[in-house]
Amino acid sequence: MAKESWFTEFPEMERADLISIRKALDESYREFSRSYGEIIESIFDPLLYFLVWFEKLLLASPWWLILFVIVGLVYGASRSWKLSLGVIISFMLIGYFGMWENTMRTLSIITVCTLLSIGIGIPIGILMARSDKTQAVVTPVLDIMQTMPAFVYLIPVVMLLGIGKVPGVIAVVIYAIPPVIRLTNLGIRLVNKEVLEAAVAFGATRQQRLWGVQLPLAMPTIMAGINQTIMMALAMVVIASMIGVKGLGQPVLKSITNQYFTMGLFNGLAIVTLAIVFDRVSQAYARRSQRHMEGQSNA
Amino acid sequence: MRFTKYYLAAAVSFFLVSPAAADCGKVTIADMNWSSASLIANIDRFILDHGYGCEAELVPGDTMPTGTSMVEKGEPDIAPELWSNALKEAIDKGVEEKRLRIAGKSLTDGGEEGFWVPQYMVDKDPSLATIAGIKANAKMFKHPEDDTKSGFYTCPAGWNCQISAGNLFKALNLGDDGFELVDPGSGAGLAGSIAKAFTREEAWFGYYWAPTSVLGKYKMVKVDFGSGADKNEYMSCTSNAECENPKVTMYPPSLVETVTTESFASRAPEAFAYLGKRGFKNAHMNELLAWMEENQADGNIAMEHFLKNNEATWLPWVSAEVAGKVKKALADL
Repeated sequence: MAKESWFTEFPEMERADLISIRKALDESYREFSRSYGEIIESIFDPLLYFLVWFEKLLLASPWWLILFVIVGLVYGASRSWKLSLGVIISFMLIGYFGMWENTMRTLSIITVCTLLSIGIGIPIGILMARSDKTQAVVTPVLDIMQTMPAFVYLIPVVMLLGIGKVPGVIAVVIYAIPPVIRLTNLGIRLVNKEVLEAAVAFGATRQQRLWGVQLPLAMPTIMAGINQTIMMALAMVVIASMIGVKGLGQPVLKSITNQYFTMGLFNGLAIVTLAIVFDRVSQAYARRSQRHMEGQSNA
Repeated sequence: MRFTKYYLAAAVSFFLVSPAAADCGKVTIADMNWSSASLIANIDRFILDHGYGCEAELVPGDTMPTGTSMVEKGEPDIAPELWSNALKEAIDKGVEEKRLRIAGKSLTDGGEEGFWVPQYMVDKDPSLATIAGIKANAKMFKHPEDDTKSGFYTCPAGWNCQISAGNLFKALNLGDDGFELVDPGSGAGLAGSIAKAFTREEAWFGYYWAPTSVLGKYKMVKVDFGSGADKNEYMSCTSNAECENPKVTMYPPSLVETVTTESFASRAPEAFAYLGKRGFKNAHMNELLAWMEENQADGNIAMEHFLKNNEATWLPWVSAEVAGKVKKALADL
């Protein structure tokens, strides 16, 4: 056989060097988590207390009260009897098939994740839209967040914060936040330049332009981003349960390992139901709040 | 002219077929997603490839899916480290119906399961090595989500050990002392929770098993229930989801076997005989796993390390002729 050379074999790093790099990085991470773990954990404590409190609230409240509140929110947002009836029926089915508690757990964590994603994502999107430099920095970060396999960053997070809800929320938010950031940015950038010029001509300040012109005009795009964020958050439920988050993800994992197809399907469908409810409600709300714009474009 | 062509073609095909030992042919080996199984799978691949002229290929696997697929579909051919208690019924049925054949024990001492606490805790308070000591100090083991409760890290959702750990939790009345089951969700989650506890020398109490690189790296002590291991009770009740009145028993050593499909065993009896002899002692396996961890080696590299440095272990598994072939292939690596 011909002797190996850089021409036939890729010039690889020496294995020993590679190992020492890996070891050094692992060791320094361990050192970091040893010295800062407790402080970082205590920073996240309020979030943990809130998550636990919210879950307990949903679990302890009687089911009809929760259903009433949900349907109230659905009707308030959509003003549609059909949609409200659909929600009642699907939640009844979830409860009837014995998935009420897990659905409540998932509902609580997903609500928090979605609110966090929107609360953090929209301001970042606005900053991105205002400066090309910020956009150049944030875009690759978003690419990493969306493609990096979850367990690569989950296990270091677990070593830092332990298993449970907080690492779960972090994982879900990391995965679900990019669409809302991207689409907020895009929506604001797509606002007609002439409209903005007109606003400037009327003497609108930067703040007034943002709140009065850019955000309302970008709203349909932002809502599409929020919708995608909700969907991706729910898709992460199973991954989150792999680091000890209770909810619908756990029975799904259980059924995957034991090949209980029906159980997997039922719990999967419950996740889908939650997603559809979240989506239809937010879309209906958006459509209603945009109605004045539809009128303009038709005129 | 036509005849020459015919003979030529026949001769060519003959040469193509004969050295690949038609009796063994393509073999798929389940490469389970934990280190010891992956190491054994790589060793098997190398020895079958070079020693027995098989065309061995590794396919990813896990206990439940691999076991079920072997029974139902006859694929993969070899499961080198199957914790067979986990799917005892399916395997028994497969053997009975002549779909599977058990080659031998891949871990000769059997796998070790139990409830563990870190060594550094026992060093401070030796009573923590017993279940009474754990119960008396329940407050030390904080629940990750609720400060008022104590946490017991159980086996991940869907794994067979979740049932046995849950039953023992009930039998030991850990709930009465404020313990609650914490489901880590996955093997990685469970190992992560141990790693977190060890980097900060925190309290940890939960289920784990050996030989594993985790127990090689993080020194832990198996908690003594003071009951001894009652194999009958374990098989009939503790490991069953329907067990109504679980009793306290230590885990009996689990059977860890090499299982092959009947078709492989009958078409390659020599390779099957090798699999029957190939087995590791737990102490040796822990050493190998610690080496893997130390060098961040995967199964393939560890295989090379093992075959080069532990000839005394593997030479008795194979005939002198096969050993020669394997050694030659090793020298070419």
